[in-house]
Amino acid sequence: MTASRPPVFELRGLRKAYGEGAAAVRALRGIDLHIDPGELLVLLGPSGSGKSTLLNILGGLDRPTTGSVRFGELELSTATDAALTDYRRHHVGFVFQFYNLIASLTARENVELVTEVADAPMPAEEALGLVDLAERMTHFPAQLSGGEQQRVAIARAIAKRPSVLLCDEPTGALDVATGIRVLESILRINEQLGTTTLLITHNADIARLGDRVVRFADGLIRTVERNPARVPPSQLHW
Amino acid sequence: MTPLDRKLLRDLRRLWLQAVAVGVVLGCGIAIFVMATGMYGSLEVSRDQYYARSLMADLAGSLVRAPDRIAADLAAEPGVAGLEARASGVGLLSIEGVTEPVSARLVSLPAERRPRVNDLVLKRGRWPVATRSAEVLVNESFAEAHSIEPGQRLPVLIRGQRKIVEVTGIASSPEFVFAVAPGDILPEPRRFGVLWMNREVLGRALDLDGAFNDVVLRLQGDADRNAVIASLDAQLARYGGRGLYGRDRMLSARYLSDELSQLRTLASILPPIFLLVAVFLINVMLSRLVATERANIGLLKAFGYPNITIGAHYAKFALAFCLAAAVLGIVLGTYVGGYMASVYQAVYHLPELDFEAGPLVYLGAFVVALVAAVLGALAAVRRAVSLAPAVALAPPAPTSFRRLGEHLGQKLRALDARSRMLARRILRFPRRSATTVTGIALALALLIMSEHFPIAIERIISINFGTTQRMDVTLTFAEREHERVLREVARLPGVLQVEPLRTADVFLSAGSRREREAVLGISEGAMLNRIVSTDLEVIEPTAEGLTLSAGLVRKLNVRVGDDLRLEATDGRRVESQVRVVRIVQPFLGSAAYMERKALGRLLREPDRVDSAYLIIDAAFRDRLSTRLKEIPAIVGATFADNAERSLRQLFEQGAGFFAFMFLLFSLAMAAGVALSAARVTLGEQERDLATLRVLGFRRREASWVLLGELAVLLAVALPLGLILGAALSRWMMEQFETDLFSFPFVFDLPTYARSALFIVVAVVLATLWVRRDVHRLDLVGVLKSRE
Ligand SMILES: Nc1ncnc2c1ncn2[C@@H]1O[C@H](COP(=O)(O)OP(=O)(O)O)[C@@H](O)[C@H]1O
Ligand SMILES: [Mg+2]
Repeated sequence: MTASRPPVFELRGLRKAYGEGAAAVRALRGIDLHIDPGELLVLLGPSGSGKSTLLNILGGLDRPTTGSVRFGELELSTATDAALTDYRRHHVGFVFQFYNLIASLTARENVELVTEVADAPMPAEEALGLVDLAERMTHFPAQLSGGEQQRVAIARAIAKRPSVLLCDEPTGALDVATGIRVLESILRINEQLGTTTLLITHNADIARLGDRVVRFADGLIRTVERNPARVPPSQLHW
Repeated sequence: MTPLDRKLLRDLRRLWLQAVAVGVVLGCGIAIFVMATGMYGSLEVSRDQYYARSLMADLAGSLVRAPDRIAADLAAEPGVAGLEARASGVGLLSIEGVTEPVSARLVSLPAERRPRVNDLVLKRGRWPVATRSAEVLVNESFAEAHSIEPGQRLPVLIRGQRKIVEVTGIASSPEFVFAVAPGDILPEPRRFGVLWMNREVLGRALDLDGAFNDVVLRLQGDADRNAVIASLDAQLARYGGRGLYGRDRMLSARYLSDELSQLRTLASILPPIFLLVAVFLINVMLSRLVATERANIGLLKAFGYPNITIGAHYAKFALAFCLAAAVLGIVLGTYVGGYMASVYQAVYHLPELDFEAGPLVYLGAFVVALVAAVLGALAAVRRAVSLAPAVALAPPAPTSFRRLGEHLGQKLRALDARSRMLARRILRFPRRSATTVTGIALALALLIMSEHFPIAIERIISINFGTTQRMDVTLTFAEREHERVLREVARLPGVLQVEPLRTADVFLSAGSRREREAVLGISEGAMLNRIVSTDLEVIEPTAEGLTLSAGLVRKLNVRVGDDLRLEATDGRRVESQVRVVRIVQPFLGSAAYMERKALGRLLREPDRVDSAYLIIDAAFRDRLSTRLKEIPAIVGATFADNAERSLRQLFEQGAGFFAFMFLLFSLAMAAGVALSAARVTLGEQERDLATLRVLGFRRREASWVLLGELAVLLAVALPLGLILGAALSRWMMEQFETDLFSFPFVFDLPTYARSALFIVVAVVLATLWVRRDVHRLDLVGVLKSRE
């Protein structure tokens, strides 16, 4: 980690409430955080603690109620819809619990969907190679297992060489062995491409593979810990 | 309320747009059903009541002259319930401010009593007093056309004698719901009216002292109609009887029954088409609902809800808005029907015409809605019931797509990824794509079909007045004249060209079939009134025999080369054999044609004419009109432009009005189909669209997939709809064919283009409206859900 580089994200006093008045759900109640380039940050916490809300704001899918989120020079909290769309298009790769592949496109085409509009993408084949799926390129999502679909989703997310890769419980719907392969893919991207990566999990064991672990509870960051060393996914147990 | 029912209400609220679209289409179908069926019933009831109450004649006939004393014998004939021996003729009227000659049918009223047959309904004013000789009643549509009020005096020219009559009242009669001038086949209220006047006065004026020249009679319920006709015809023969005929040859009755049969045709062919579309839409909507609720259904089943409850839940869904649509359709149909009844009443002057659909029609509406619901829901309910809980609860398997053939695959590779999405979706779901395409195509076809009716009428009119009848004026002579008269006619002011017509009222028989028809004797090389077939061929009259209209050929069941027996009903009453030499299909009227001179020879009255067609110098029109009013030998002068206007009005007010309502419903339906197609397509693409948006595609780029799919489906649907529309129009025109009118099928490019354009615009607007949802798409929400 080179401390001299400016952080990728700078969050100050971030709050997010759904609804208004007494019925409002305060999903984030004041978040301050900075995220370094190339870092692999794990967000850990019980269900409903606000992790997804934060990730969505960082990914430009949602806006905070108050507070500031800076992505480099871009203030996400006040950016226009069009600016957020462009931000997602050029800088963000998403991976969700439910893979959200386009069923009518093959694995390669799902990746090409992104590379066709990105600035300096890697070839779809290369992206699929990074997740060990080069030989399943012409398969449709329905012909792939859950883990394979999730790896296609990862390939699709990173093919445009995004600045950040945001993964919301990517292993949530997978069994352990499959989950490990998915995590290995994410880790490899982070290491080989230096992509800043945020990984949501509510599994404390998975947290050990990150550089830092941010623990959430009730819309607040409780602790931020730096792991002494990253633990490779193959050595995780859950 | 059970939780399931609560869910039902919420689903309905969530799918309101869909529900509204289906509701509108189904509602329109039911409204058309209620309106057409109810209107048909109401008109029929109104007519029958009118006929019954006003003692509408069953038989009528004219003769030269018979002494009054035989009337009692005629009335006493077995089977005759009532008989009027009347004096009847034609008079020329002079109406202030109207330059054209106006004529009227003069019908005698018995003194001191109401007519026993063809009684009148007095609308305003009073009955004439028998002792005052100059008092008359005037028929309502004529009075309306000229704003004639009781108390007004009218100069009438009867057989050259000028007489001033005073209008005491405005009346209507079942005999003259439509009043058609002699020699004409269309009512023209401005030019032709009916005057009822005292029997003796009219008798004297028509030179019929103590005699009659017209009989109308009613039959007893169990009477042998043919026996009565035969017996009376035999008795009247020596008085110049021209043969009794039934309501099927009374022009007014014929118009009404044509109108009724058109309504019945509409009532039977239109609602099914609307309903078919509604069934489609319900099917699409529910299938989609069941698909999105897989997990819910699985859960319910896992909780132990029985299949029947789950099936019933979705069936109820369809039922709920079908019943709503039924109510909407009934209210709308009744309302529009009521309005239509008032229009019909105003046009036809039927004494009582209330729109009354009756419990059977309303019950029918509900049954129809129910059937639509059941048919529409069937597939979806079956799918919901057959879904295994374990399958439903398993994580969502992406819809499976297969690679297409090598060739197609190559083509697809050339496209960008979003176009590939689009192409695969359409090709992968041929049934679903076909449903949308069918819906849109049907909507377009229906639109074309409803636009076709006025176009067909326009075509009839333009052919009739542009190709068939090219005269400016038609003169009808009071008596059959020697053709010398044509020279005098030619000398009238402004007359440029004269062409004679000889007509003969005859019976034609072949074997046991016998039909009364008019034979038109058309001059060789006629230019002003020609025989024109539906394929616009001008047909020369034949001297060797008769040219028959196809309608007449069907009735007589004859072929070219057959011999017919011909009996003239007037003149020398010739009975002869005549050969069928040609068959034509004219637009208007059913008739037989022959070369004029040959017809004269056949009837042993050569060189006679009944009417003359004129081409005139427009500058002399008024002078000619004024002059014509003074010539007693001419009982009618029809200006073609007036006739054209009347014909157009007749159509516009009758079936044309219905066609207009039908068009409105078709438009609403097309909009409903468009909305539904757009909404369903969006519903199915929602997740993909959200994914595209998350991946950083701009709104425009993302909605391209939605718009593209609709555009492709639309592109397929349009030609299909156009073809289907043409086929339906042709078919409907065949259904509409009556003895008097044959409706042409017209391929009118602008109409087709306009209908197609409307559909395109409707789909585009619906899509744009639905696209707002793409913009508002809750990206996080959509993607967080499993499916
Ligand atoms: N669209 C929304 N509307 C209302 N409340 C929401 C919405 N999204 C999330 N929440 C609420 O915000 C809180 C945080 O949710 P989330 O960030 O999804 O938690 P986590 O991802 O940590 O499980 C929860 O209480 C959740 O119910
Ligand atoms: Mg979450």
